[in-house]
Amino acid sequence: MNDFITNVKENNSIVIIETNGYLNNVGGEAVSTLVYEKMAQGKTKFLINMASTKIVNSIGVSILIEIIEKLQEVNGKIGYYNLAPIVAKTFNIMGLTKYSTVYETEEAAVNEL
Amino acid sequence: MSSDFKINDLQLKYLELETLLDITHELNSFDQIPVLLQEILIKSCGVLNASSGLILIEDDNSDVLHIGAHFNIDISVLKGLIFNKRKGIISKINESRKALNITIEDDSFLSKTQCKFGLIAPFLDKKNLVGVIILFDKESRKGLSAFLDSDANMLSAIASQASVAYNNIKLIENIKEAKTFNDNVMQSIVTGVFTTNLMGEINHINRAATAIINLEKDLVLGNHFEYVFGSNQFITQLINKCELESITISESQILLECNGRSTTVNISVSPLMNDLGQPIGSVVAMEDLSNLDKLKSTFKKYVSKQIVDQILENEDHLNLGGQELEVTTLFSDIRGFTSMSEKMSPKDVVDSLNEYFDKMIEVVFKHNGTLDKIIGDALMVIYGAPIGSNNDAERALLTAIEMQQKLEELNVVRMTRGQSPLEIGIGLNTGKAISGNIGSKVQMNYTVIGDAVNLSSRLCSFAKAGQIIVSESVFSALKNKSNFAFRELTPIHVKGKEDAVNVFEVAYFKNDSFSSIEEKYDQIEHFLISNLPGHLVYHSIDHIRDVVEKSELYGRLENLSEHKMHLLKTAAWLHDIGYIWDEKAHEARGCQFAKEFLPAWGFAFDEIDAICEMIMATRIPQTPTNLMQEILCDADLDYLGRDDYFMISDRLLMEIRRTNDLNSNDWKKLQLDFFNKHQYYTASANSNRFKGKQINAQKIANKN
Repeated sequence: MNDFITNVKENNSIVIIETNGYLNNVGGEAVSTLVYEKMAQGKTKFLINMASTKIVNSIGVSILIEIIEKLQEVNGKIGYYNLAPIVAKTFNIMGLTKYSTVYETEEAAVNEL
Repeated sequence: MSSDFKINDLQLKYLELETLLDITHELNSFDQIPVLLQEILIKSCGVLNASSGLILIEDDNSDVLHIGAHFNIDISVLKGLIFNKRKGIISKINESRKALNITIEDDSFLSKTQCKFGLIAPFLDKKNLVGVIILFDKESRKGLSAFLDSDANMLSAIASQASVAYNNIKLIENIKEAKTFNDNVMQSIVTGVFTTNLMGEINHINRAATAIINLEKDLVLGNHFEYVFGSNQFITQLINKCELESITISESQILLECNGRSTTVNISVSPLMNDLGQPIGSVVAMEDLSNLDKLKSTFKKYVSKQIVDQILENEDHLNLGGQELEVTTLFSDIRGFTSMSEKMSPKDVVDSLNEYFDKMIEVVFKHNGTLDKIIGDALMVIYGAPIGSNNDAERALLTAIEMQQKLEELNVVRMTRGQSPLEIGIGLNTGKAISGNIGSKVQMNYTVIGDAVNLSSRLCSFAKAGQIIVSESVFSALKNKSNFAFRELTPIHVKGKEDAVNVFEVAYFKNDSFSSIEEKYDQIEHFLISNLPGHLVYHSIDHIRDVVEKSELYGRLENLSEHKMHLLKTAAWLHDIGYIWDEKAHEARGCQFAKEFLPAWGFAFDEIDAICEMIMATRIPQTPTNLMQEILCDADLDYLGRDDYFMISDRLLMEIRRTNDLNSNDWKKLQLDFFNKHQYYTASANSNRFKGKQINAQKIANKN
């Protein structure tokens, strides 16, 4: 775990990642590294708690897209919750929400994924 | 499918536009500069893929910028650096006023961030640079790169929006600061101030004004002034007049009655104008005079109005802190009041004391004494504190004498009411004492303490009814003053002093305008008995009584009117009273005394002049110029033709020999010479004494 990822836990076989700070190149790489490690362990469902990530750039978004592509290869899924409005808007504009889902709560996410 | 995943330029441009719109919408919702700057920086970094960023913002009144916001950067490396508008990369942006792509390593300060690429845009207030936003290292999936020209345009647009928001917040902060400043000034001033708008509604009011109006601020603001001052028509008329005529009006000592509180105020109403000189309401200033009045009335309990005015004029004269001062203290005490009060009802006791203190304190203030305290039926008065003068002892003694005299007047009134007369003893001492506000936080009083004060109190205890006892210090200060007479008493032992203390009784004339003529003569006689020096064996009370008696005799024989008889007898009683103070010029001193005291007895000035002329005519050689003067001169030397001449002349010789070593021959020669030069002026004296005088002259001549 680096500074960007503050906690990782599992709930009903879903890996829940808590982030903190700027989801940019560095933050995105931290998430992708973790996800790919977990995928190697057989995990296919990921949920990112972005309560402490108030800003994201297009590079961070493009890394998330790369993760989505990798997950699609194994029928995996990724979702997000606790998004700041600007982050939600960016995800929407960047088309991220076409291929992944933004949830209101962890519970809702766990139930649907 | 994967091509769908790629982020295209259109999406990025859309994101940029959305972000710019967001910033535009949100910027005006911020009211704190640090929050605004942080939000701008984060969004700028996000939308332009910057890895980190920094906003440097102006320090007031200097060319130096400080870090206003930072994102994703270790600013510890920048700590202590001075970002000067006129140096380095910032000076460039200060000149260009537009966003620039920069190479960070070119700037000695920014290079400490370890970043490579930068994009900097100005925050402007009109044409002035107030800050810069710097984004570092554009991110891509291939790594870090320089920003694009399109990024510069975007950052310029963001910075431009941010500048407007920043300047708005700054303006609001300045307005708030000015308002707070004005409010603080308004609230801190003791003058009550409120303003009205064109509708007559009160829109500002300070604390002092709410206190005067006796209403909470919330109940005043927004209400029409006529509603607030409904019962004070004079004030509403002033405000109306000011608004109608656009003139400043001031009035003094206006009684304001608001919500159960009456306050006397000085009021000033002025029109309020805007920048264009158009009326926008009124400003009303009210100076609460009650505090000044309270201060004055509080002080007046202790010192005279004259002293209050002196203190208020110049507080430097006031010595309220602890310090050593030379003061004269006066203690007075009613003799036997405790036993007297046991026979009185409580109300009579209180009424009697209040009446007595009213009279006494009036005298104290007349002579500018400071009333220190009232202890039961005793008074303590200070002269020389809190404001000293060069005649403190004199004023203290004048107070003591007048207190005794005023008490005589009061006693006449008391006796007509069937009440017992009051008698007081007074003690005075001059010396160093510690003065200051002494007491606890709960009660603190201005007073003086020390040995000198204690001695004054002891002398008061020693004084008998009607007596004024002073210490040697008071005597020494006043012995050369011609208006006081002292008689040295046997030294006394007082508590706290090993050696006996020299004490002096003050002779004073009982000034009783209510008593009859005969009672007044009795008072003069009593005064003479008490105060004529004992060594005056000839100019004694016997001689004066004799002169009075013979004056009355010859006055009757010469058919003087009752009025002239009254003047003559008064002159006879006073013709040698000056011996109490000044033997050599006793006639002149007697006249001074007459001029000081006879007005209070109801004598007119021309009558007093007549009395004084009679007294002066007795000066040897006698120089009478009218019948009354002739009678007094004849009465004064009546004994020259009487059988008791030799007994009386022996006393005169004794008195002369106190200062003049006269032998028998000299005395014989002196007498014969005097007899030869002397003459009786009136027919009645000549008829009565001429023959006897010749016989006595022959007897002197025949003496060996």
